Amino acid sequence: METRAKEAAPGKVRDESIALHARARAFVRAFEEGRESPEPFDALASDLARFQARYVAGYTNLVTARGLDPARFARAVDAPAVPTDAFKVARVSAFAEAETPIAFRTSGTTVGARGSHFFRDASTYDAAAVAFARSTLLRGFPERVHVLVLGPSANDLPDSSLCHMNEAFVRAFGLPNDGNVFFLHDDILDLAALDETVARILVTSDAPILLLATAFACVHLLDAVGDSGFRLPQGSRVMQTGGFKGKSREVEPDALRRDLANAFHISPDDIVGEYGMTELSSQFYEERGGGPYLEPPWARVVPVDPVTLEPVEEGAEGIARIEDLMNVDSAFAVLASDRVRRVAGGFELLGRAPGATPRGCSLTIDEILGR
Amino acid sequence: MIRRSAEQRLDDVQRILDRTRILVDRRASLIPALVQSTGLSALGVEHALVHHLETDAKPEELQRLIASAGDARHIHVILSANVFVAALRAIVLARAAAPIVTVRPSSRDPAFANALVREIADPDIRLASDPSAMHLEGIHEGEIHVYGRDETIAQVRAAAPPNVIVRGHGAGIGAACIWEDFDRAAENLADDIVVFDQRGCLSPRVAFVSGIAAPDFAARVHASLAARELRIPRGTLTDAERADARRYADTLRFAGTLYEGDTHLVGAASSLVIPPSGRHLHVVPIENRDALPAALGPLAKSIVTVGVSDMEATLAWPRHARISLLGAMQRPPLDGPVDRREASF
Repeated sequence: METRAKEAAPGKVRDESIALHARARAFVRAFEEGRESPEPFDALASDLARFQARYVAGYTNLVTARGLDPARFARAVDAPAVPTDAFKVARVSAFAEAETPIAFRTSGTTVGARGSHFFRDASTYDAAAVAFARSTLLRGFPERVHVLVLGPSANDLPDSSLCHMNEAFVRAFGLPNDGNVFFLHDDILDLAALDETVARILVTSDAPILLLATAFACVHLLDAVGDSGFRLPQGSRVMQTGGFKGKSREVEPDALRRDLANAFHISPDDIVGEYGMTELSSQFYEERGGGPYLEPPWARVVPVDPVTLEPVEEGAEGIARIEDLMNVDSAFAVLASDRVRRVAGGFELLGRAPGATPRGCSLTIDEILGR
Repeated sequence: MIRRSAEQRLDDVQRILDRTRILVDRRASLIPALVQSTGLSALGVEHALVHHLETDAKPEELQRLIASAGDARHIHVILSANVFVAALRAIVLARAAAPIVTVRPSSRDPAFANALVREIADPDIRLASDPSAMHLEGIHEGEIHVYGRDETIAQVRAAAPPNVIVRGHGAGIGAACIWEDFDRAAENLADDIVVFDQRGCLSPRVAFVSGIAAPDFAARVHASLAARELRIPRGTLTDAERADARRYADTLRFAGTLYEGDTHLVGAASSLVIPPSGRHLHVVPIENRDALPAALGPLAKSIVTVGVSDMEATLAWPRHARISLLGAMQRPPLDGPVDRREASF
């Protein structure tokens, strides 16, 4: 049966949240300064789980239904993960709507609501995103580079976490006076404007470009430029993320990497995959040179058995349980639908769990969502 | 092509139904193979054979079936994914339309179709020599009736010769709309859910309710399913089915109300969530029955049937769906394909 999260004075919840945000931000600061994390991951994770079990109504229900006592949480894995589907049907937040002016929403599916992830403010999100991108995506780059985006601006798509992150990167890493750096409007690529901007950069500085792009925008670009290619300055780097969502033809990841490298006249090692989702506040980046996805010290990807939800043996394939200490006010542990495997230094992304294909003519959930 | 008269077609179809009844009478030897291939329990197979094979069609239903069956020289029936009893309707539909029928049973679930064709013993209804659904080289004329998932139908369409018509019968789901007589509705809905362990395209997986709190109705269905578990035990689920059920359970624990039986889940929430098949139901409140179209939204095109308590009620939408009485959702009249969606053709 449904239970209710404990009623608390809003000021008390906010005070607890502020204290937890401060502890989360301390992880980011320590990382930026090259120091050890200020406390064990499990300690903050357990406190986040207790906070969320007190103030996020659905999480109270989930913990209670599992017969768990939050007071006994000592490790992150002791606390249940929230399925990403829950973000579509319930408010996953310790705060009321009036107190969370920022809402990132998942892209639409044919059935059901879009998932929503609410924030009181985005400062913790931004700090973590920028810090980890600086150390991975921009490793070896000057402090500021030309940042161009094959995607809409946050003004055009204010409820997209990806647009928000891209804009944060433009602010944090971009050179001033680059003018408009967003080259996708209503899913249409403005290749002429991109061409003009890149040509200007090639002529004036030949400095490397960081190009942030969705996979479908990359395909649109490849289709538009054809065999003639689209030369980027030497040393440029491309972050590509997300699926195709029916907005372009689908291309296998290895083929996309190869085709982009050929088109941009850069090394395939400079095509870097990003793994993130609306329900999280942290991101993961492929190690340059085709390595695994890397995690910041404040986020972990734990492969779990899809039925028991227990962690699988080291090296075995499982469903991604993502523990994100930056998800202070929502769900610190999220159960995604992606298959992953731990490898030395990080994790491999193995694609989406296919879902059950029934021995009959009843539609699968994936089929319903895909129609 | 020599056209058969309506009477001749009726005789051909009736003969199939007569032979099917004989096969059902001798079902004991068939059940172990069906348990193996379908994953249903032995009692689940028995229940499906005895209660969900349409062997007692009314004459007017068969007349409607024959009138709508069309004409073809030769029909190739490809049974790639379906509940096992669906082979009967597929063969009947083909035989009503064509003097020659070739049946390609599902490679995963061939037992019933093979047994049925042998029992019918009609020289003009043959089993295909090549069991591969995609092997179409020998097909040069007539029609292909393919039963399966969207991608299978698309592959067959792509591979078929241009002069061969492909009629696809895809996957789908059932829904229920309930606004009265809640105890009886819960009982009848549970009857519809347990058949084929909910793996049929008519199987209800979502119930829209008005006039009762969704959790209250969910509790009643939960009790009804628990009672049926003793009579018709659920069979085995695959790991993927169990994983999907686990995800649905945790989503509903978080976002709504969940009633959990040994072999079923019934959830209630204000938003639509599609549970996996395997005897799981999601209950969603709607203001009244006229709100059903809006509540279904884009899901409507996947709906094959809507179960209701009162056939006289005005449920004019979705138009393509069969409207059935609850408790009879899995027993549609033998008057044509179960799936009337245009997209399936």
